[in-house]
Amino acid sequence: MSNSANMEARTATPEEPKFIGQSTPRKEDRRFVRGKGCFTDDMVFPGMLHAAFVRSPHAHARIKSIDAEAALKLPGVIAVVTGRELAEFTTPFVCRQEGAPPMEMDALPVDKVRFAGDPVACVVAVDRYVAEDGVDLVEVDWEVLPPVLDMYHAADAGMPLVDEKLPSNMHTHETRRYGDVEAAFAKADRVVTAKFRTQRLTHVPIETRSVVAVWDDGREELTYYGAAQTAHILRTTLASRLGLSENKVRVISPDVGGGFGLKLPLFREEFTVSAMSMRLKRPIKWVEDRLENLTASNHARDDAVSVEVAVLNDGTILGVRADLWADFGAYAFYPPSYIIHVVGWLLLGAYKIDHYEYTINVAITNKCPAGTLRAPMAIVTWATDGMMHRVGEELGLDPFEVRRKNMIALDDQPYQSAPGYLYEALTLREGFDQTLAEFDVKAFRDEQARAAEKGRLLGLGIASVVEPTTYGSAWYKASGDDGSGHEAATVKIEPTGTINVMAGIVATGQGYETSVAQVVAEALGSDPANVDVRLGDTHIAPYGMGSRGSRGAAAGHGVAYLAAMELREKVLKIAAHLLQRPAESLRIVKDTVVATDNPTVSLPVSEIARIAYNDPTSLPEGTPPGLEVHSTYDPPFMTFSNATHLCRVEIDAETGGVEIMKYQVLEDAGTLINPMIVDGQVHGGVALGIGQVLLEEIHYDEQGMNVSATLADYLLPTMDTVPRIEVTHVETRNPNTPNGIKGMAEGPVQGAVASVALAVQDALAQVGARLDQLPMTPSRVLAALRAAHSHANS
Amino acid sequence: MTSADSRKVEMVVNGETVVGSVPDRKLLCDFLREDLSLTGTHVGCEQGVCGACTVLVDGRPARSCLMLAVQAHGRTITTIEGVSRPDGSLHPVQRAFHEQHALQCGFCTPGFVISTIAYLDERGPDAGPLSEDEVREHLSGSVCRCTGYTNIVRAVHQAASELGALQAEGGEL
Repeated sequence: MSNSANMEARTATPEEPKFIGQSTPRKEDRRFVRGKGCFTDDMVFPGMLHAAFVRSPHAHARIKSIDAEAALKLPGVIAVVTGRELAEFTTPFVCRQEGAPPMEMDALPVDKVRFAGDPVACVVAVDRYVAEDGVDLVEVDWEVLPPVLDMYHAADAGMPLVDEKLPSNMHTHETRRYGDVEAAFAKADRVVTAKFRTQRLTHVPIETRSVVAVWDDGREELTYYGAAQTAHILRTTLASRLGLSENKVRVISPDVGGGFGLKLPLFREEFTVSAMSMRLKRPIKWVEDRLENLTASNHARDDAVSVEVAVLNDGTILGVRADLWADFGAYAFYPPSYIIHVVGWLLLGAYKIDHYEYTINVAITNKCPAGTLRAPMAIVTWATDGMMHRVGEELGLDPFEVRRKNMIALDDQPYQSAPGYLYEALTLREGFDQTLAEFDVKAFRDEQARAAEKGRLLGLGIASVVEPTTYGSAWYKASGDDGSGHEAATVKIEPTGTINVMAGIVATGQGYETSVAQVVAEALGSDPANVDVRLGDTHIAPYGMGSRGSRGAAAGHGVAYLAAMELREKVLKIAAHLLQRPAESLRIVKDTVVATDNPTVSLPVSEIARIAYNDPTSLPEGTPPGLEVHSTYDPPFMTFSNATHLCRVEIDAETGGVEIMKYQVLEDAGTLINPMIVDGQVHGGVALGIGQVLLEEIHYDEQGMNVSATLADYLLPTMDTVPRIEVTHVETRNPNTPNGIKGMAEGPVQGAVASVALAVQDALAQVGARLDQLPMTPSRVLAALRAAHSHANS
Repeated sequence: MTSADSRKVEMVVNGETVVGSVPDRKLLCDFLREDLSLTGTHVGCEQGVCGACTVLVDGRPARSCLMLAVQAHGRTITTIEGVSRPDGSLHPVQRAFHEQHALQCGFCTPGFVISTIAYLDERGPDAGPLSEDEVREHLSGSVCRCTGYTNIVRAVHQAASELGALQAEGGEL
C-alpha cells in the first residue's frame, strides 16, 4: 500500500491514548436495562393500521386466483392487496451478478409461489388480531407444482424451473484457477480428499423484522421506521421501487433487537407495507411473528465443501482443488454467487498454498431464500483446518505439525494468498504456537487415550481463523458486484462545546454510541460523555454503507476518527490565532486547549465553539464559520484479523450428547477501541457457532414444508449449552487503517464452527467414527458411533 | 374488534391500579404494550420459548405472551418499568447487567432482568454462594442471541452478592 506511511502519519495519536482501548461502560445500556429503548414495534402513530400476510402453504405452486371478498367484508379490514395489484404501482427488485442472468423479485409474487411461506397477499386492518382474521378469509386457488429441494439434483432433466426467467436452476457454475494446479497434482506423492457439509440455518434475532411506514400526505414523502443495517442503501432501493425521488424517502433505524445480517435487504413485506402506506395515506405497522421469521425471512449456510489436496509425504501441501456448493433458495436478495465465492477465496486460510482451483455451484431451489447470516462463509475455517487434519491422518503425521509447517507467520508477511489477497500483521502461526505452548496437547492425548479405554470420548479442536473484516470499494469493483466499501461521518462541535457525531454505520447491539464516542473523544481531547452519536436516520446521518461484515470498527470508527482529527486541526488553528501561539504547541485536554510548554495558557473548546458560530469575524482570516467536518474514508481492498480458538469436548457415548468442557480464544483484532465490547462480540459469535455445530437446523420435508417452524423445533443455544468463553487479546496493528484498527465479529463464528466440529471429530476418531455433516446432533453422533462399531465388527 | 367481545379487567401494574377493557383473546403482553404503553416488555416468539416477555405475576415469573390479559384480572404485575427506583436509580440486577456488559442489543434484557430478580428472590440471600452451573441451569429458559451468556452469568453473580450484602445490612431490596 503506497499510502500506508501517510495513513500512519494522519492517524498518529495526538496525545497519550485515553479512550481508545478503554472498556468504557456503554452509554446505551441505561435505557435498555430500564425497558426504555425504542424498538420499531414500540412506535405508535395516529391512525396507524396493521398488516398481516397471506402465505403459500405449498413449496411450489401457480396462483390461479386470489379471492379477497370475504376478508374485505370483515369489519375492521381496510384493504387486501395482491402481487398483481402491487405490480401496477411498484417495480421489481433486480439482482445482478456479473456473468450470470439477473434475478427479479416482485413486490409480492404475481403468478407463482416458490417456497412454503412465500407471501401472496397483504391484509391491512385496524389491529393485528383483525388483520390475521382477514388472512384466514382470503381464498387462494393453487395449482401445485413439484418442488425442487435438492441442490445436487436441481438441474437434473425433468426438474421444473424455480425461476422461469432463468435458463436453469443451476444459477452459477464457475471455476477460478490460481497457479499451476495440474503440475502440483502431478508432483504429489498422494491426493487426500475431505468433505464438509453445513445445514440450513436462520438468523433468529430476538426482535423479529418489523416496520412502520408513515406516508406524509402534506409533504408527499415516506418515512420508513424499521431495523436497517444498511439504512441508506435501503432508502435508495425503496425510493426507486416506489417511484419516489430519493429525497422524499427517509429511513429511520431505531433501536434494533439484533441483526446478525438479516436486517439488510429490502424485504417484500416491508416493501409492501410501504407501498400500501402511500396508497392508503395511513401509517401501517407490520411485525413479523416467529413462525414467519423461521420460515420466510432469510435462511443461510446450507453449503458444502469437497477438497482434493495434493501433498508430499512430509506434509507439504502442493495444491488444492475445491468443489463448492450452495443451496440459495428461491429468490436472490443478494448475488447468488457472493457468499460461496468468499468461501472459495478464503479456503486456503492460514496456510501457504500456491496452486489452487475452486469451482462454485449455486442452485436455486424451492426453499426460503438465502441471506447473509453473521459469518456467511462460516464453513470455511472448519473446511480448511479439517482438510489439514485429514492430511495429517492419512500421512500418519501429527496434524498440528502439518498445520504448523504450512502456516503463515508474521515473517512471511506481507503475504499474498493464491487468490490475490494481501495478509498483513496477522499472527496466525504465532497465535497457534502460543495456544500450543499454553495447552499441553501431549497430556491431553494421554488423558484422551485413558478415557477412551473406559468408554469416554474426549476431543480437542483448535481453529486458526482468518477473518475478512473490512471490504474496500476496490474489492467491490474487482468482485463485479454493485456496491462500495467506503464510509462517511460528520463530526460537529456545537456552539456550547458539546459534540455530535453522525455516521453511516447502523447499530444493532454493537455499542456504537459508546465506541464511536470513544474514538471521537480521543481525537478531540474530549470525553465520551460529551459526545453523542446519532446513527441510522438517513435525514441526519451521511450516506454510508452501513453495518455488515465486520466493517464497523475499521470503516465506521475509522472515518469518525479521521473526521474528528480534521476538526481538531481547525480547533487548534483557531486557538493558535486567539492565543497567539503556534498550533503545533497546543493540545486539547479535557475540552480545553492548552499550551504544551505552559499549562496556564489555555482556552476552553466551548469558547472556541462560541466564537466559531457566534463571532466568526474573530476567526483567523479565511477560516469559515462553524465547527463541523464531514469526511469519507475508503478502506484498503481487504482488511483481515485473526484468532486461534481452542475447544475441548466430551461425547456421551450413550446419548450422543456433546458437552463443551473448555473454550478459549486468542484474538488479534489489531487496535481495540473497547476491549469489553470486543469480548462481548467474541462471546456472542462463539455461541452462534456452537449453535451451528450442535443444535440449529432448518428442516424441509419431502414436500418442501418447513418443519422447524417454532423455537421448540429450531433449537437455539441457551445458557446451559454455551460454556464460559475465555478471551485473551494480542493487538497487532494493521499498518493501513486508521489507528491500526482491524475490526472483528464474524471470526468468532468461524472459529467456533471449526473448533467445536474438529473437537467432536477428534473425539469420534477415538473409535474410528466419522461425521462431516452439521449439526452434530445426538442422533447423528450416535449413528456415526454405531456405523463405526458395525464396521469394526464386520 | 367490537366492545361486545371485551371484558373489564382490573390489576395492579408496577404499584398502580389499572382498569381496562380488553377482548378475551388479547394477550397480556399486548395489553401491557398497547393499552398501558409499557413497551419495555418485549415479544420475541409468542410461543413461550424465548423469555423476552417475562413479567412478574404476583411475584412469580410468567411469560406474558402465554397469558391472556383477562387472566391477569385481580393480579399484581411487575414489568421492567417497575424495577428501577422511583428516583431513576437502577436495581442491583440492572446495574450488574450494565457493569458486566451483559447486554448488547438490549431486546432480551428486560426478560433476563425480571427472571434474574425472580430467581434470586426465590433462592433467598441465605442459600450460600451461587455456583456457575446453578445459574446456567436456572436461567436457561431465556434466550439471548448476542452475548453468548458469559457476561450474563457474571452479572447474576454480581447481583447475587450485592443483594446478599444489602440484605445482611438490613437494606431494602
